[in-house]
Amino acid sequence: MATRIPAEERLTNLVVALMATEIGLTKQQILDNVSGYRQRADAGARSDALEKMFERDKDELRTLGVPVETIGDPADPNDLREARYRIPQAEYDLPGDIEFTPAELAVLQLAGSVWSAESASGDAKAGVRKIRALGIDGDEPIIGFAPRITARDAAFPQLQEAIEKCRVVVFDYLKPGEESPRRRSIRPLALVDYEARWHVYGVDVDIEADRMFLLSRIVGDVRITPTSFDPDLRDGAGERALSGLERVAAQNAALLEVTPGTEAALRLGRRASPATQGIHVPFVDLHILADELASYGPEVRVVEPAALRDAVIARLTAVVAANSDPEESR
Amino acid sequence: MSAQSKPLLASDRVRVYLTLVPYLLELGQVSLAEAAEEFGVTPNEMRQMVEKLTVIGLPGDAGFWQQPQELFDINWDLLDQEDVIEITNDVALRRVPRFTAREAAALLAGLQMVAAVPAVSDSGLVSGLISKLSRGAADAPAEVVVAPSAVDEVRQVVSRAVQQGVAVSFTYQAPDAAPTTRTVDPVQILITNAQWYLQGWCHMREAMRTFHLDRVSDARLTDIPITHAGDQVPEAFAAVDDEGEVRVRLPERVAPLLGDFLTPENAEAVDGIVTARLRLADPRGIKRFAGRFGCALEVIEPAIARTAAREWAAAGLALYRDPDQGDAG
Repeated sequence: MATRIPAEERLTNLVVALMATEIGLTKQQILDNVSGYRQRADAGARSDALEKMFERDKDELRTLGVPVETIGDPADPNDLREARYRIPQAEYDLPGDIEFTPAELAVLQLAGSVWSAESASGDAKAGVRKIRALGIDGDEPIIGFAPRITARDAAFPQLQEAIEKCRVVVFDYLKPGEESPRRRSIRPLALVDYEARWHVYGVDVDIEADRMFLLSRIVGDVRITPTSFDPDLRDGAGERALSGLERVAAQNAALLEVTPGTEAALRLGRRASPATQGIHVPFVDLHILADELASYGPEVRVVEPAALRDAVIARLTAVVAANSDPEESR
Repeated sequence: MSAQSKPLLASDRVRVYLTLVPYLLELGQVSLAEAAEEFGVTPNEMRQMVEKLTVIGLPGDAGFWQQPQELFDINWDLLDQEDVIEITNDVALRRVPRFTAREAAALLAGLQMVAAVPAVSDSGLVSGLISKLSRGAADAPAEVVVAPSAVDEVRQVVSRAVQQGVAVSFTYQAPDAAPTTRTVDPVQILITNAQWYLQGWCHMREAMRTFHLDRVSDARLTDIPITHAGDQVPEAFAAVDDEGEVRVRLPERVAPLLGDFLTPENAEAVDGIVTARLRLADPRGIKRFAGRFGCALEVIEPAIARTAAREWAAAGLALYRDPDQGDAG
């Protein structure tokens, strides 16, 4: 008979209750008094089921950025039977000294519009909304520019979650030219969008060395393991990742001959430096560059390195084979 | 399925409440339509959520219902008669919450992306914003880095044209065509997959067109005020009516590489093989895609496209047999 209280109502009541208490509420007090639990308890719900519901709700709120604090028994911190729960206002509120100008809000609104993936786009908009709720109106929107980021790789959300939680991940990784994928365990530290491809930068656990992986080469699911790592490893990881990629690009240069005035000359010329005969194009991944060069057909010829030359020849040979028919005469 | 999507919906609503309350308290009276727009929900959903707010409040003591002053309340008359929201009693949630790690990460990555946009880089606001967002986050966001893109002379000039609202003229070298001189009313600059495109009204074609800026040279600002700014920008890579259709086949695992070109409407996956219908101004242009997928793309029809792909690759191969023909093509 008791009408069922929707989850959002129960969760919001829980936030209100935990914010209103200084000393914290015990689990029992919450289950007995907070609207949403109370009615279920009255209707005869089992207490272990209600306790589980509370545990899930607590996790849900933490995911929403709500800092639910657990105050345990000082004598035995592992004994949570009499633990009290509260939300410290100071950790919940956006710090009062952080202010945004209308011009800054306009920039953030453009920054928030770049995502096309639904979840990141929703997150960015929710963030902008919080600033608007401070009572700030943005300047005239910045129009005429439409920057876009896409993160379609299935591995992206799992890796992001693993970085947030500082947990080791395991995935199968297929390098081009290898027959079968190899299982890798890494401590993921940063996601990097470089040349329109997502990479994850982290420490390869098996060899204890920093490595970069292309998300598009991850096969199957990324598994987040229970093993955690020191959050300090994440400090400055993005900058280390980026400088690592730039170092690799500086060390690897392809020597190419391009036909002037062609698409290849335009597209490659933008990132090339002149060589005595031809141009030097830096690259970080031989196979990705080979894909691009193969698309230019006769507009470009690889002089060196030999491995790149072979990779381009292999691709061109395969295109010819895939698109040939004995009956198709010319 | 509905049981699965329900908890997600609930957490979204909680997230809305946590920001909606301080927003309404800050603004005083807000129309239903405006609040709905701000929070990305329908006016009806917003009305339901605001009505629901009035049963949320402080916990009652065991056995007792909450007192009215312990619950949120709204101005019901105002809502019913004028579709305007006003909170008349508030019990908590007065302050705007910190950013979640995800919200901060999404905005921080977006900032790195827009930092290259001249309208933004000129403002000098990016680094200050990065520190504010990082400091205002509830938990340390996962670092999501967007490598900066180089902004050369052409990109600067085209950006200025957009900002100043004047036409820009330039030499355009489309693939497999002679260079042309174009004058374009710029509407917007699209930056995607690390490539910059100018979208605007082309005076020569008398139509909206998308120009890849790598193919643009000698860009100059004109003093011609733009007359087509209000025109709708074409969907970036949408088909134009006169374009031809090419059917291709490729393994499903490499399909993501085709990105924006594949949509649920034009592609179909069966047994790990994707068959897609791509629209190209000239079907023979498919030759430039075929090599990109490590051999994996097969052109099914039309025959001229299939032949073009094969001959293009064969001409490329010929360079390695006889390097003296380097200028072929």
